[in-house]
Amino acid sequence: MSYAYLFKYIIIGDTGVGKSCLLLQFTDKRFQPVHDLTIGVEFGARMITIDGKQIKLQIWDTAGQESFRSITRSYYRGAAGALLVYDITRRDTFNHLTTWLEDARQHSSSNMVIMLIGNKSDLEARRDVKKEEGEAFAREHGLIFMETSAKTAANVEEAFINTAKEIYQKIQDGVFDINNEANGIKIGPQHSLTNPGMSSSSGGGNQSSGCC
Amino acid sequence: MADIEDFRSSVDPYGFKRTENFDYDCYEQFMSKYLSVLARRRSKWERILGMKANGHVVRSNKIKRYVRKGIPSVFRAQVWMEVSGAEYHRRSNPGLYEAMRIACHDKDLIEVIVTDLDRTFPDNIYFQAETSSEKYAKRQSLFNVLIALGQKNQKVGYCQGLNFIAGLLLIVVKDEEKVFWLMDTLINDLLPDYYSRDMLGVQTDQEVLGELVKERMPDVTRMLDAVGVAWALVSTKWFICLYCDVLPTETVLRLWDCIFYEGSKVLFRVGITLVKHNRAKILNCRSFPEVVNIFKESTNDKFVINCHQFIQAIFSEPGSLSRSHIDELREQCQQRVVDNKHH
Repeated sequence: MSYAYLFKYIIIGDTGVGKSCLLLQFTDKRFQPVHDLTIGVEFGARMITIDGKQIKLQIWDTAGQESFRSITRSYYRGAAGALLVYDITRRDTFNHLTTWLEDARQHSSSNMVIMLIGNKSDLEARRDVKKEEGEAFAREHGLIFMETSAKTAANVEEAFINTAKEIYQKIQDGVFDINNEANGIKIGPQHSLTNPGMSSSSGGGNQSSGCC
Repeated sequence: MADIEDFRSSVDPYGFKRTENFDYDCYEQFMSKYLSVLARRRSKWERILGMKANGHVVRSNKIKRYVRKGIPSVFRAQVWMEVSGAEYHRRSNPGLYEAMRIACHDKDLIEVIVTDLDRTFPDNIYFQAETSSEKYAKRQSLFNVLIALGQKNQKVGYCQGLNFIAGLLLIVVKDEEKVFWLMDTLINDLLPDYYSRDMLGVQTDQEVLGELVKERMPDVTRMLDAVGVAWALVSTKWFICLYCDVLPTETVLRLWDCIFYEGSKVLFRVGITLVKHNRAKILNCRSFPEVVNIFKESTNDKFVINCHQFIQAIFSEPGSLSRSHIDELREQCQQRVVDNKHH
């Protein structure tokens, strides 16, 4: 399937906050309560439409444990968007956001759009981090913010799509140089004038088949 | 295990649910031939082990050859313990496992291990949460082993990936203390610094694999560079999990036979062989996702299901892999990794 743009996303955050579940909910529209933990990186993909244009999201889902940081740092390169996820029922995962943010800013393009996500909003009774705290952190650091539930799917579509809208807006405003792939954006095959061979759309498709 | 197996069962002999796209025909075809291999290997091992009253296995070229041809599942635990040196450590440190298991009061360590119990082989009948029968009680053992290891190796603590290795060892070896010593031997004697806090060993070995592939198949390296696939993307789990939860279970165990005897060098042989076998496919790719998919599929096809042929292939296809060359590459690559970090 052809697309106007391809955006690379990276999902980051502490272990166990629900990164893989968010990805699965977004690409396959299902929730898997038990699944293998992620070692290294896994990939997902989905097509979305913004402003009448087809946009392919290629999403990198990363391991969250601290020892993996030195490896996951190499994954930031060329990401247009990042979902920085914490778990609203575990304050630790919120407290670590500053470190994640430093890492992200240091290893990515300065234009990368970062969406802060407080996940597990369905577990209201066990809430440990107020919504206002998430909002305040996002405001202070210039991030977009949303609370989501990978379990009920609440706000999951919105989180991925609003990030794409922000990136798309930046392209319209000329902030992103779309000819520089280091920004995490590629022009789709039918739009590409420079190197059509390297950005084939095969293997794409609307729903994920486990990979991008 | 394999000789009393129902080839069409939806659960494999180690309790893993088979994937929906599992190729039963291919597997049955392979097993019908492999059974006679297993029977032959078993009688050979019986003869060797039967001669020793104490059950000791002394390392020798003959044993090494035997190990490469596969250790029968009934002798696996014993031979792994002996040839790796884990049995020596166990006997030199009586009671240490118990002591380590109960000594841990690190709340963070306990919490992170508990979180991962749910996420270790959720599809394996021995690890499912809802079952209460004793047969399924591997979760508690997994917790015990990981806690004791973290307590003994405080520099490592708990590193994700160790859960998968310990989990499979518990299924095969069945004895917590032995699993603890096998893991401890892997971490401290057989693998170079894979599970330390910055995973320098894994980062280094990924680069080494890259160099070894480049020496043999520069066209593949050019392709990976062109579409932006770094070794850290496709091989992190290979090294951290020693191909467990990556390759089919029987193939992993045949590979572990060799790792417990020969150490980490075998991991490169597997990586090179997988790439070599899929070289034409990789060279046909035109994009990042296509290449990533090939790597994913390469760990689950006919070639790797036939574990006997696959293990033969890893010792012939990559060609010579001298210890000194690996040492040299490790030194260079480690320097590169360290330099990059401070860059």
